[in-house]
Amino acid sequence: MGMPNTYTEQQLVAALKERDNPAFVFLYDHYSGALYSIIRQIIGDNGELAGDVLQEVFINIWRKIESYDQTKGRLFTWMLNIARNASIDTLRSKGYQNARKNQELPENVYKAASNQTTQQNVDNIGLKKLLEKLKPEHRVLVELAYFKGFTHEEIAEMMTIPLGTVKTRIRNALLQLREYLK
Amino acid sequence: MNLKEYIASGIIESYVMGLATESERAEFEQMCGQYPELVAERGKFEESLESYASEQAVPPPGEVKAKILKAIVTMENSRKPRSIGLLRFVAAAAVILLVGMVVLYYQVSQQKKDLASANKELLDRVNSDEETINKIKREVSIPNTTIVSMVGTKRAPQSSANVYWDSTNSSVYLMVKNMPQLASDQQYQLWALIDDKKKNLGVFDATERNIILRMDSTKKAQAFAITIEKRIKGGYPTPTLDSLTSMGKTQLTQ
Repeated sequence: MGMPNTYTEQQLVAALKERDNPAFVFLYDHYSGALYSIIRQIIGDNGELAGDVLQEVFINIWRKIESYDQTKGRLFTWMLNIARNASIDTLRSKGYQNARKNQELPENVYKAASNQTTQQNVDNIGLKKLLEKLKPEHRVLVELAYFKGFTHEEIAEMMTIPLGTVKTRIRNALLQLREYLK
Repeated sequence: MNLKEYIASGIIESYVMGLATESERAEFEQMCGQYPELVAERGKFEESLESYASEQAVPPPGEVKAKILKAIVTMENSRKPRSIGLLRFVAAAAVILLVGMVVLYYQVSQQKKDLASANKELLDRVNSDEETINKIKREVSIPNTTIVSMVGTKRAPQSSANVYWDSTNSSVYLMVKNMPQLASDQQYQLWALIDDKKKNLGVFDATERNIILRMDSTKKAQAFAITIEKRIKGGYPTPTLDSLTSMGKTQLTQ
């Protein structure tokens, strides 16, 4: 049907910026699983909600593709960050909070985060699975920063540890994760 | 800090995963512009992250794809009519502008015609006035003509007129310079004052300025006066002095 089987990243980006529909279908077919995975890791085991977020993410990709700058990183990195941000926004939205009324409040998110890593296995995939390999004091910081979207300052305050320590531990944790990725 | 230390600091991972602060990001991007090695290291990490994420992919619910594609088609369609809408607007504006210009052109050319005819009319009048004046000049021998400037009274301070009185042939001309318009049932009347008697020299209207009228003749006059009177044929036999508007004394015959 005239649809290319493969694109180089360059070609794919160029085609997307031209608002080429087959390129977008290709993009969805190749990346929706990885992006859906990160969404699930962040918002949890709610397939319907995660599907809505995925839809929002792809619509944002379509809309914002003009602003994607290849000199700043790979297309997947850019999309992954869109997916992560959309998931964290959902996590913080009123609707989501109301739906989880009887669960932990955001102030107790540290507790919630540490509970989650031990209790939930359904979405224990991807990066989240790798977190288990980290030391607990590192794991919790990455959980709060990457999966809950708290700033280093917020985490320092929440956990009453110096900001510099938060930063160093997160950096070290990320370096370790990098080793696990290899 | 040298490049190796910078690479080993965890900034690459922090940047790629979206955990760097605004200033860290700016610094990192600037460093990437300087050190291709840093860009290569970043690329390696991005690739390993991507391949791990692909391995760990979870198939999304099947209906999502169709929903997204439909949403995108809708977005694209709503994008297009806007541009057609703009085009229509521009076209409509152009048509309106064109019509406006045609209307304006006709108005201007009509005005030009009107102005030209008004000009001609004015010129004709000036010419005819000049003729009249020349006629008067011919008829009224200047040396014997008394020019009486009629001064407005309190009742009509703005009014002004001149009487040209030729004492040799007794003829009287009145030049109306500026007399206020009267009600339709009124008219002006010119009088000659002769030894405390008032002689009717005729009536006139002041519908136009700077016209010269031939009035009745008088052999004698110490002064001339203009009054406003009820409109009757031939004028009143005696003036209504209440309505005296202008008066001027002759310098001769006193």
